[in-house]
Amino acid sequence: MEFPNGAERLRVLHGVDLRVDYGKITFLVGPSGSGKTTMLSILSGTLSPTAGEVDVLGERLDTMSSSALVKFRRRRIGFIFQQYNLIGTLTAAENAAIPLIADGVAMDVATAKAAVLLAELGLSDHVAKYPRQLSGGQQQRVAIARALVHEPALIVCDEPTAALDAEAGRAVMGLLESAARSPDRAVLVVTHDDRIYPFADRIVRIEDGRIAGEGAPVPERVHP
Amino acid sequence: MIGVALKMLMGDRVKYLGLVLGIGFATLLMTQQTSIFIGLLTWGANPVLDVREAQVWVMDPRVRQADQGQPISDQALYRIRSIDGVDWAVPYYRGTATLKSLDGALSAVTLIGVDNQSLIGLPPENRAAAAAAIRGRNAVVVDSNTAFLIFPDKRDPVGQVAEINDNRVIITGMTKALTTFAGLPIAYMKYTDAISITPPERNKLSFVLATPRPGVSAQELADRITAATGLKALTREQFARAGVDFIINNTGIPLSFGIAIGLGVVVAIVITALTLAMFITENLKNFGALKAIGVTNGQILAMVTSQALLVGLIGYGIGIGGTAAFIAGGRNDPSLAGFNLLWQVVAGSALVVFAIVVASAFFSVRRVLKMDPAIVFRG
Repeated sequence: MEFPNGAERLRVLHGVDLRVDYGKITFLVGPSGSGKTTMLSILSGTLSPTAGEVDVLGERLDTMSSSALVKFRRRRIGFIFQQYNLIGTLTAAENAAIPLIADGVAMDVATAKAAVLLAELGLSDHVAKYPRQLSGGQQQRVAIARALVHEPALIVCDEPTAALDAEAGRAVMGLLESAARSPDRAVLVVTHDDRIYPFADRIVRIEDGRIAGEGAPVPERVHP
Repeated sequence: MIGVALKMLMGDRVKYLGLVLGIGFATLLMTQQTSIFIGLLTWGANPVLDVREAQVWVMDPRVRQADQGQPISDQALYRIRSIDGVDWAVPYYRGTATLKSLDGALSAVTLIGVDNQSLIGLPPENRAAAAAAIRGRNAVVVDSNTAFLIFPDKRDPVGQVAEINDNRVIITGMTKALTTFAGLPIAYMKYTDAISITPPERNKLSFVLATPRPGVSAQELADRITAATGLKALTREQFARAGVDFIINNTGIPLSFGIAIGLGVVVAIVITALTLAMFITENLKNFGALKAIGVTNGQILAMVTSQALLVGLIGYGIGIGGTAAFIAGGRNDPSLAGFNLLWQVVAGSALVVFAIVVASAFFSVRRVLKMDPAIVFRG
């Protein structure tokens, strides 16, 4: 994967081959600038590689048209961002319902489904609240609901606990861990936050655009 | 996603109200100023339009509009009556005089002398009563819209004795004339009475009013009169238009109103484009997230366009409502008489506002459409 850098082109990823298993949480870790975010962007279909093949959930993203790529992301990928990226003027339920609404589901139907999911995530009293009325942890839970509401096969998380304190981070990871325990769903987490390493089933380390190795799950890993 | 877009818009109340009120103010500025401008131009045509019977106006070739009197010879009347195709032709005096009320107050008035027999030249409204009132010697009928300029204490003018050019007259009735650009009170007398109290000069006949026989067009008759007399003869429509053109060509009104209307357009563009651009910029990350989640460019375009159209519609409604209220409120105010909110103004301003909000939406959303959805993963 290359990016323009002045007159030259900067190679960010070099022949990376990454496998993410269903039913597992895979962590992608590494120093800043190592290519983690680029990797995540390519795997989620938000960025196209300049070379190589990208096979995600049985589909070749590198040869997909842009409209097919948008549809692929909408139906098969769930996104969790570092800063939650909730829309401040929509309620928690409306925010969580966006993937369904974007796919043509009526707003009231989508919002009702999202409200049920929010209740399962412990936010039953907060479905009608706006993001500014929620704590950081609660906002990230709304973001998790948004990532799950359309039942995607792959959930990609970009530093999901970076803006949270330790307790809220653990709670969020607990929910993600539950979401990952499905035979037809995989969770990929990019993180710098070593406090949450115990939640990983597999940790892949990336350095200078190359996979530098796989770390075993930390000993204190506790499976449900 | 339209519902989401509208909730996004209305949830940001400051920007929503800013957009709506900005577009409302701009629409008010555009439509109110355009209506006043058109109303003022109409005032230039009203002296002609108020004489409905006359199809042709004959005058000195140097005359450019109705309030610019240059008398012609009385003989012209008889020569015109002898022209083939003339059904009738009558004299018409129009000039400025000074009216003094018994308590000594002075008013400049437009003095109109109408044909003694046919009374052609009296306004159509309240004509029967005015015709009866004007028959007496030195009887004056005044325009009810502007009578307050003669009698500011708003007393009933009928029965008041006054002097015009030091000649005793009595106000015997009221009529209702269309508002004119000159804005002076209007006093009607019989033609012979009017020319008898005006200062002596060789000729006093301001205009000859004529109408063609059936089968002869007004233009044809006007051409025949010009050919036969050397005088300027214009159809009613041409002379009314000349009054409008006189205002356009000889006053700063088109420029000043053009500036005000232009400012309205600029205000609408600036407020709409800037506020929408600000709204988009502040939500850039969220739009990036939406694109990552799988919202298409078409959906985002529809979202922003629907937001722009909604504020445009509401703002336009407020603005056009304000103009309608202004015009309705001025119905009984003589200084605002004759102003109307024409459908052309309503439709034209709607098109302008529509174009501005749609163009602003496209301009603002370009960044989002070009934006790489992966931006949401970058710091």
